[in-house]
Amino acid sequence: MLDIRGLSKRFGYGKGEVTALHEVSFSIAEGEFFTLLGPSGCGKTTLLRLIAGFTGPSGGSLVLDGKDIAAMPPNQRPVNTVFQSYALFPHMTVGQNVAFALEAQGRPRSEIDPAVDKMLTLVQLLHLKNRKSSELSGGQQQRVALARALVAKPRILLLDEPLSALDMKLRKDMQIELKRLQRETGLTFIFVTHDQEEALTMSDRIAVMSGGHVQQIATPRELYDRPANRFVAGFIGESNFLSAKASAGVVEVGEGRVALADAPDGPVTLMIRPEHVVLSANAPDALELQATVAQLVFFGTDTHVHLVLADGTRLVARVQNALHGGQSLNEGERITISLPAKALRVVRDEEVAA
Amino acid sequence: MTGADTLRRWALALPAVVVITLFSILPLGVVLVYSFLTPGDFGNVKWIFSTDGWFSVLFERNIFDDTIAISDANIGILVRSIVLSLITTLITVIFGLPTAWFIATRPVAQRNFWMFLITIPFWTNLLVRTIAVQEMIRSDGVFNRILLGLGIIHEPIQMMFSNFAVLLGMTYVFLPLMVLPVYAAIEKFDFRLAEASYDLYASRLFTLRRVILPLIRPGVIAGSILVFVPSLGAYVTPRIMGGGKSMMLGNLIDLQFGQGRNWPLGAALSITLTVLVLLALIWYTRLTSGRKERNHG
Ligand SMILES: Nc1ncnc2c1ncn2[C@@H]1O[C@H](COP(=O)(O)OP(=O)(O)OP(=O)(O)O)[C@@H](O)[C@H]1O
Ligand SMILES: [Mg+2]
Repeated sequence: MLDIRGLSKRFGYGKGEVTALHEVSFSIAEGEFFTLLGPSGCGKTTLLRLIAGFTGPSGGSLVLDGKDIAAMPPNQRPVNTVFQSYALFPHMTVGQNVAFALEAQGRPRSEIDPAVDKMLTLVQLLHLKNRKSSELSGGQQQRVALARALVAKPRILLLDEPLSALDMKLRKDMQIELKRLQRETGLTFIFVTHDQEEALTMSDRIAVMSGGHVQQIATPRELYDRPANRFVAGFIGESNFLSAKASAGVVEVGEGRVALADAPDGPVTLMIRPEHVVLSANAPDALELQATVAQLVFFGTDTHVHLVLADGTRLVARVQNALHGGQSLNEGERITISLPAKALRVVRDEEVAA
Repeated sequence: MTGADTLRRWALALPAVVVITLFSILPLGVVLVYSFLTPGDFGNVKWIFSTDGWFSVLFERNIFDDTIAISDANIGILVRSIVLSLITTLITVIFGLPTAWFIATRPVAQRNFWMFLITIPFWTNLLVRTIAVQEMIRSDGVFNRILLGLGIIHEPIQMMFSNFAVLLGMTYVFLPLMVLPVYAAIEKFDFRLAEASYDLYASRLFTLRRVILPLIRPGVIAGSILVFVPSLGAYVTPRIMGGGKSMMLGNLIDLQFGQGRNWPLGAALSITLTVLVLLALIWYTRLTSGRKERNHG
């Protein structure tokens, strides 16, 4: 429904030129909860502002429902934004804020009033309809901002880090609420965050960005299981990296070797999640390595075991704390660990870059 | 709060209280007293109670048959003063708002430069500035010469000594007083709100009317007071630009203390002016505090 093709954005000119987006391309499907995830300054807001129309692209096209909207001003795009700062109109009541879009469209009063009430009911704020918007708590302002952006039934709702100003507890509640709203309205959401957990729990698909490039677009599961490169692997969840040599589908790390069909010949980087590292020798079809236990960190539900390999590479293993202790480890102990082949991933070292 | 604290507070306020009493309340009292006395033969006053001064503000007695009629001249000047001041205020809003907008939307580094340009006229004497405007629109002034030279007109246009001339002069002189507070208000305006409005299908005009103007209103009201009050009592500008033809209240008062030799009337007119200003200020506080109340309501 929304096709972004080779979209790029440059700010400034001459020596001061900054490229905030490098030819970004992807498509978003109807009703999808699509998330832009990436560290600060990677171009998330810039991309959102291009979709909303607040700035024009330096190149590429934006096609919504088959129509190029790149040159359309924001007030004609069927796209609404929930701003990070909420940007509620401080001189208006909650009801007036929500009614704004419909009034701007020149809809009749008889249509506006019920629509506003319906929207406020949806975000559970009907009782605050006549309150000044400047006299609300952060969470309430957030809901008003949502209702205000949803009331005119946009094709796409853009949300720029809408939860970052809320405290932890409220944030979790709003995550669930947002997801509920999205399901109930069946609307397409483009959601911006730099919080990977938020992205993983809420999204249908995630675009991981860095330095103005899209590094990978995938479902949360795929992103976690099959990161496209070292950046994505490091950004999403925790990862261990190992340098290895591959030839004819077999990878070799120090004394260990295992068959990995998708490994290209030559030096490669392997990735494994901490929860997949097995602290014993008897895992079948695995890379077996000698390691020293450097440190044990207790985390309640599990323990992080910091390991050092013979060549100095550091790994972290995460083991669940069993009720009766299970096998007990001591710091300084030398053990054999196994890295199961099906948990090992070959990742590209280089990110997508210019 | 301890007694010493209260004392200290009063001690801090004392200089201001003394200055206000000495130079504001006392002279006003004198003016009020004078307005109820009898004119002296060569100016000044005789200490005989009379309401003639106040009477003459609005009425005049025919010296031959003692009939009373409404003073067309005085009322004309009163009405002109109010109307010209209101129009001046309106024009300064119309010109000042876009100017302030322009400055407030420049990059931060450039804003001071533009504000500096706006305040330059303040460095020049009011008389000199007003005469400069006169120089532009005189019969053989710059405008007329250019128009004549271009052959657009064949006789100079008479612009001086008219309401137009007074308006032009006052607008020019008071414009910065509008720009400054409006600029301050626009600078505080969160432009993300305009973006939000634009995102929510509002046109530029709708955004201006429903979001920008309501939020910079305090600045516009403050500017209106800053322009309206001195316009109402303007003396130099109407004197030079309007001459005897387009007099304003300030000139009428001056006339009574000078050639007119009617100090009580002059005093009564001065009080009238003060009351008008007071009314404007009351309207202003109502407008701004009413807003705050609604904010809390
Ligand atoms: N108006 C602008 N002028 C110049 N450079 C800009 C402008 N807006 C953004 N940039 C630059 O573009 C890059 C991307 O900025 P953007 O705001 O999109 O980042 P972001 O991913 O939203 O970051 P954050 O998570 O901190 O909000 C940054 O390097 C930023 O400095
Ligand atoms: Mg951002």
